[in-house]
Amino acid sequence: MAFTEPVLTKRIPLDASQRKLIGYDDYVATGGYKSLKQALEMPPADIIKTVTDSGLRGRGGAGFSAGQKWSFIPKEKKGPHYLCVNADESEPGTFKDRYLIDHDPHLLLEGIAIACLATQCDIAYIFIRGEYHYSAKVLEHALKEAYAHGIFGGDGVLGSGKKVECYVHRGAGAYICGEETGLLEALEGKRGWPRNKPPFPAIAGAFARPTVINNVETLMCVPHILERGPAWFKTMGTPSSPGPKLFGMSGHVNNPGVYEDELGITLDYAINKLAGGMKGGAYKASVCGGISMGILGTNQLDIKLDFDDVRFRGGCLGLGTAGMIVMNEHTDMVKALRNCVRFYAHESCGQCTPCREGSNWMRKILDRILDGDGKAADLQMLMELEKTMGIMPGTTICGLADGTAWATRTFINKFYDEFALRCPEAPTKTIPLKVSSGRLNVLTPMGSNTR
Amino acid sequence: MPWISEDRRHTRVAEGQPLLTESLKAVLRDKYFPRYPSKRAVLLPALHLLQHEYNWLPTQAVQEIAEFLEIAPAEALDTASFYEEYWLKPKGKYLLQVCRSLTCELCQSEQLRDHLSQKLNVDPGETTADKRFTLVELECLGACGTAPVVMVNEVLHENVTTDRLDQIIAALPEDPHDMKDPGMTWDNDGH
Repeated sequence: MAFTEPVLTKRIPLDASQRKLIGYDDYVATGGYKSLKQALEMPPADIIKTVTDSGLRGRGGAGFSAGQKWSFIPKEKKGPHYLCVNADESEPGTFKDRYLIDHDPHLLLEGIAIACLATQCDIAYIFIRGEYHYSAKVLEHALKEAYAHGIFGGDGVLGSGKKVECYVHRGAGAYICGEETGLLEALEGKRGWPRNKPPFPAIAGAFARPTVINNVETLMCVPHILERGPAWFKTMGTPSSPGPKLFGMSGHVNNPGVYEDELGITLDYAINKLAGGMKGGAYKASVCGGISMGILGTNQLDIKLDFDDVRFRGGCLGLGTAGMIVMNEHTDMVKALRNCVRFYAHESCGQCTPCREGSNWMRKILDRILDGDGKAADLQMLMELEKTMGIMPGTTICGLADGTAWATRTFINKFYDEFALRCPEAPTKTIPLKVSSGRLNVLTPMGSNTR
Repeated sequence: MPWISEDRRHTRVAEGQPLLTESLKAVLRDKYFPRYPSKRAVLLPALHLLQHEYNWLPTQAVQEIAEFLEIAPAEALDTASFYEEYWLKPKGKYLLQVCRSLTCELCQSEQLRDHLSQKLNVDPGETTADKRFTLVELECLGACGTAPVVMVNEVLHENVTTDRLDQIIAALPEDPHDMKDPGMTWDNDGH
């Protein structure tokens, strides 16, 4: 494990006043588009193999192997293939992609061009969320430069005859479009309702053609992997989660912002070394990667921030996008959870009943608890609802409801006392809970670590 | 919430001049049609384009877009009503958007909302009587590192305080189209 120099942010100074938009000339002068030339001389299968060997896992939340994802695209081409870049960054706590795009857009464009060569894609759509007006303008500007220098369009990538087009497609304010099939629907001009799978996008995605969908940060890793090799990439991070990662630190910390380090740093390091320590009080809890992943509790500062430790030891859904929302000791956890649940209730696309109704139901219960009218049954109902919505219990099409469930579950489990205090008559420890399916589940709150 | 149906009994489909003018049609035809294999895929860009032009999307505009893209008006309305950014009813010249998600709430965004609400004498979701401001609260704007944030039309303001908010509002030009994004150091290529 060794993270010695910034990789993705190597062109972005740490000092905010020194930062500026890196244009085409600056990008090329600092070694930009070198990997693309290298990729042009490689057969597509070799590019995919290099990326697979590096162990690069998707940075959009799921942590799926990027190389493997590319390998699912049919080798034999019977029509156009598409690449969709997921820049619909709407998860509360996540702002890394905006940071990368706003400063170094050409690194993304180089990653896109390489990905298109590897998977034989003809058109790349950068799906950027509607609220990122400035970032969309930055991308339009960078694309204009890239077209002028023969990266896209014309006679193919750098005159090679392998033609790739790249366009910006703006979303219009819907969190659900960050879900890959919701994104495809929005791209096709429909409401962003996630699709049932299969067919998977690699077989029938955008416009029913094979489609790759990658996160911005994932694609930005690719030029570096090609240039310096998979072995170098693996010197950073942990064996199962190699590479550098951007950590978005926000909330009650002294220096909030985006920081680059390797995967597998501890939460303690992220808060105290990267983000300058706690502000306004001692550490209480932290969202571990966008609110959908749940929270890490007071006694979990030693959790390693990689794709596995957060899950297996941390009790969260995963690392997600590594957007940490740090909360100090004065934070009201009931109110914080209400905020999260209100988000899901608002952003549910309305397709599946457990999510559409369940999240609104949960919001109303939490509103009631906050108003001081909480009852024991409320807490029990929250925990029952949380157990019955999402892909994991198999009641919804996409994972939005799992986000609702995991946020609720981890908040209540890890700060049970605080919730119980607001719901008089709630049992203080173990709650035998009868779930509607008839199975008897016993929920054991993960301990009274709140004080 | 997109799935709450709206009362459309009093929707007026205006007659007279088309809103999708020949020049706007030309933009769609020349710039956007070549980008996508289907015409329907141009729907989101088209709605953005017309909303930018008219500040909101009258039913007539949605209908004309549908006709131009060769889809049913209901299909266009179905899409347009799903997305929060499309305004199917008029809004003020300036849209004041206060982020209310977790980080911003931890960083006192509620104070900003209450301050604006009091200053303009409107509740979130309402427009001032002079039609200059519409105040809304929305979910994460993706700038948690500089919370709390407020977006005024297309320009994001970071690390906002109530005093800064007053300055920002005082500095707004008469015509929203004169607003400049201070971050932009190049000519707008249009998006």
